Amino acid sequence: MDELFFCFEKEIKMRKYFVLFLIVILAVFLRFYQLGQNPPSISWDEAAWGYNAYSLGIDGRDEFGRFLPHDYLESFGDFKPPVYAYLDIMPVKIFGLNEFAVRFPSAILGSLTVLITYFLVLEIFSNRKWEIGSAKLDKEVGNRKEKSHFSPQISVSHLSLLTSFLLAISPWHINLSRAAFEANVATFFIVCGVWLFLAAVHNKKWLIVFSAISFVLSMYTFNTSRIVSPLLVLMLAIGFRKKLLEIKRETILAMIVGILLILPTFKFLISPQASLRFKEVNIFTDGSIVGTSNTEITNDQNVWWSKVIHNRRFLFAKEYLRHYFDNLNPNFLFIRGDGNPKFSTRDVGELYLLEVPFLVGGLLFIFKKKWGDWWLVPLWLVVGIIPAATARETPHALRIETILPTFQILTAVGLVFLFEKIKDLENLSRYLKKLIFFLFALFLTFNFLYYFHGYYAHYPREYSGEWQYGYKDSISYVQSVENNYDQINITDSLGRPYIYYLFYTKTDPKEFQKTANITREAFGFVTVNAFDKYRFAKDIRTIDNKGKRVLYINNFFQIPNDAKILKTFYLLNGSPILAAYTI
Amino acid sequence: MNNKRVFILFFIIIVVASLLRFWQLGQVPSSPDWDEASLGYNAYSIMQTGRDEYGKFMPLIMRSFDDYKPALYVYFVIPFIKLLGLNVVSVRLPSVIFGILTVIATYFLVIELFKNRGVLRLRSGQAHTQKIALLTSFLLAISPWHIQFSRIAFESNVGLALNVFGILFFLKGLKKPIWFLLSSFVFGMSFHIYQSEKVFLPLLFLVLLLIYRKEIVKIPKKYIISAGLLLLIILLPLFSFMLTNKEALARARGVSVFSDQTPFLKDNVIRVARDKENNDFLGIVLDNRRILYAKSIVAGYMSHFDLNWLFITGDISRHHAPGMGLLYLFELPFLLIGIYVFIFNSNIFGLDKQSKLLIILWFLITPIPASITSGVPHAVRTLNFLPTFQIFTAFGILFAFRKISNLGYLRYLIFFSLSLFFIFNFSYYLNQYFVQQNYFNSQDWQYGYEDTVSFVDSQQYKYSKIVVSNKPYLDQSYIFFLFYLKYPPADYQKESLFASGGFRENHKFGKFEFRPIDWNKEEKSENILYVGKPDDFPQNVKVIKEVNFLNGQPAIKIVED
Repeated sequence: MDELFFCFEKEIKMRKYFVLFLIVILAVFLRFYQLGQNPPSISWDEAAWGYNAYSLGIDGRDEFGRFLPHDYLESFGDFKPPVYAYLDIMPVKIFGLNEFAVRFPSAILGSLTVLITYFLVLEIFSNRKWEIGSAKLDKEVGNRKEKSHFSPQISVSHLSLLTSFLLAISPWHINLSRAAFEANVATFFIVCGVWLFLAAVHNKKWLIVFSAISFVLSMYTFNTSRIVSPLLVLMLAIGFRKKLLEIKRETILAMIVGILLILPTFKFLISPQASLRFKEVNIFTDGSIVGTSNTEITNDQNVWWSKVIHNRRFLFAKEYLRHYFDNLNPNFLFIRGDGNPKFSTRDVGELYLLEVPFLVGGLLFIFKKKWGDWWLVPLWLVVGIIPAATARETPHALRIETILPTFQILTAVGLVFLFEKIKDLENLSRYLKKLIFFLFALFLTFNFLYYFHGYYAHYPREYSGEWQYGYKDSISYVQSVENNYDQINITDSLGRPYIYYLFYTKTDPKEFQKTANITREAFGFVTVNAFDKYRFAKDIRTIDNKGKRVLYINNFFQIPNDAKILKTFYLLNGSPILAAYTI
Repeated sequence: MNNKRVFILFFIIIVVASLLRFWQLGQVPSSPDWDEASLGYNAYSIMQTGRDEYGKFMPLIMRSFDDYKPALYVYFVIPFIKLLGLNVVSVRLPSVIFGILTVIATYFLVIELFKNRGVLRLRSGQAHTQKIALLTSFLLAISPWHIQFSRIAFESNVGLALNVFGILFFLKGLKKPIWFLLSSFVFGMSFHIYQSEKVFLPLLFLVLLLIYRKEIVKIPKKYIISAGLLLLIILLPLFSFMLTNKEALARARGVSVFSDQTPFLKDNVIRVARDKENNDFLGIVLDNRRILYAKSIVAGYMSHFDLNWLFITGDISRHHAPGMGLLYLFELPFLLIGIYVFIFNSNIFGLDKQSKLLIILWFLITPIPASITSGVPHAVRTLNFLPTFQIFTAFGILFAFRKISNLGYLRYLIFFSLSLFFIFNFSYYLNQYFVQQNYFNSQDWQYGYEDTVSFVDSQQYKYSKIVVSNKPYLDQSYIFFLFYLKYPPADYQKESLFASGGFRENHKFGKFEFRPIDWNKEEKSENILYVGKPDDFPQNVKVIKEVNFLNGQPAIKIVED
């Protein structure tokens, strides 16, 4: 009998893994289908990742010749954290230097995030069954109490599967998994870090060391994670302080490993270069706030209390809150998504509209029910937005991506909870219940198809310009005719052309370093003015080309009148973008 | 709490509410906006001639600037003009009085919600009821959102008062059916005061019917029928107007998301064409424009749950004090706690299921009228949110204070910092509203006409013609001249030739002409006085007076050639 029961249990377990397998397959499909073609072109950051990976794969040096950089890649002067480039070395070696290979690490780790999320949720709510109702369902029969009705239960593995599924189809996560965004890789490491931490404090204590490694890796991957990860670790450490004391040995080892690993980059982290970009984009350098504060104090004839209530620090705090709340804007989350079409299709929100009631419900229920280590989820969400809110551009789907999958967990809790409640309603007919589930499934399918169809049918055409479409076509044309010319003058009006030329011509990095003419400005910006035959400038008429046969690649709208146009390059929506000509 | 203490506290709240609403009324905001000027002059016109500016006898719909709005507010203004003359204060007074009444009604509404169906059994429950009622009414008394619209002649504020009274009387009616008559009278009035109520009230009726269907069935038929008949009679003129006047729907159409279709659908047209070209059946279904409409309505609805709109930025500057949202930031944590407590723990405060459902559904239907319009989020069209936000917040405060009281010595520290935060937030608001608002927002309040008109009036004997610009921001300048000149309405009705109220319409009365000034084409005679924006004139003209906005920027120039 027991044996039979055991088999039954085992079968359920197998079935769960089968469902999880299907979810991961779905995730892989949604992240890899036409990965090289959609988004329709690579952004300059993607090109930089690819070329640096290519360069590192050749001799262990980055594009500018730094040997095995561990702290940063100089790239365009944005000092990229280097992990993505290292992750991309193998894909570039295997698939060649192309769009697919560049995006491969993000897509594969994005798919794995879906898998890990399943185990993360199991840990958060400690794998068991939770009652969703209260215990007040006893009925009095005569003078003895009888349990007339069992409160419905939720099995955490169902909740985990649902969360994984929601993440697998999430527009937010799909969009960011389909391009070489280092944020997406950082999200993977952070999800891993939290999962391993929880697994460590729950039973497998030595995993805490891997958790530390994972968090440190996220800090080598993405700028924002350098703040989010320590905050999350702090939050976990405080929340589980008693447990950590119990596993003192492992904790200390993890701390040592973590510190040792972060040490090499520490000097860079506190250097002015690391904060350069932050200074440029943060809200605290906004002078107009100080102006407002002063004007308001003047309006009060400079009395002391006015200096208190109009203190610029309070105004900055308010400004910070405004940017923080921006990231919770319903229009951003559910209707239009991020304003930058690289992060969103602008058709659907970062989350599906249908998720609204369940997200709200989930948030309420998770506070009410307090299952397992529930507190982690809302806190993670709150903490994850902290660094992104210091920037001027908010909301920003990329900088707050590390709060995934908290939204999905909350939504799953709301879904499971409401559905169990509905199933449990006694005075609702069976057919009506079925109808409710059917309608939900219908709406979800509709929501998903709306996004999916838009992504493949309209997105590439409508936003190819945002992805610097046109470089690839123009470069392959240049390659086919460049033997006829001594020099090729190229506009940089689409942004950073040199990296595309390196990427598509697969120029040997040594060759590039030998022939390149590079300027480094204050603020750290790196501009490549020339390499090999190629000359780059904002206004290509300024380039000196005495006595040379020159081919021009210019913005279609800046072609001089005496040009002899050889070929025009178009965006996917049919509007011209670049042209090749001679004079 | 004994009754005496409750009474004293309630009295203090009413005094605070009145002070905040009467203090410097007429000076803050710095000037009436064009809608206020129009309400004032039309009231003046009806008072003297029985007809509005278009010569319509006792209208129930005001044409005003061709927005065809319900006219009831105008009639509320008339007695105050009789008493105090035609000025800003008398135009704003009805709103102020209804605002204070809302604070009072809110107290009784909350009491009624708790008393409903006799759930109130425990003595401790009664104390809670009074605490929550007082707290809610206090929060409304100091609410930036409510103060904003209680101090200006915005009809929406009177609509809110009528709705709160309507619900209060309805709940009373469940026990004593005679109250139903009063309830339907008040609701009926509300239909006549503000556009949004025409969408909000039917939804509210549906909600009330749904929640209290069992109680309503038990009530003697004669009360229900007579209340229904009363409502119908009050609404009859509205129906007949809608059937006979096609323009009436113009306003509704003008501001709805469906109005300006071409830019809205531009991208979609391309999409559909491509779907057809590719035989993409799925695409033809998904790119249907109805889906786009639905999306935009949902977006409009959800925009009202943007924390920035509520707590930090508000919408257009006439709808909030500079630097403030519609609610206090100190309310945010309590609001969140309050919503949670309201949903899960309200029984500890003795609130029954029906009352709970009423508040929640009231809260959820409020953004619907605004969501089908453009210009969302909209603080005026969703004024009916009040006082639900305050009820939630009051729950949150009471609950949090109970928890904090158990914290030993730590509680003093927490109470101290919370009070400090409250005082800081409140004094910041008062300063922003009463001092900074005039400085920063005087242009939005169309400041400058009062000085201009009195100056022009004193000089007009010298000129044969006075030309006033009506280009933005001086649009509808004619109504300000009518208002401040107290121009005899009978004369205006004759001279205006019933020029329409559209925004690009020119007007004419007496010596005055209201039209765009194009300096190069003006005839420039000594007998003509020009009133316009600084950029209407070249440098070398003879400026005889300049009126500035309150931040010192030039607003209006009075020029002679």
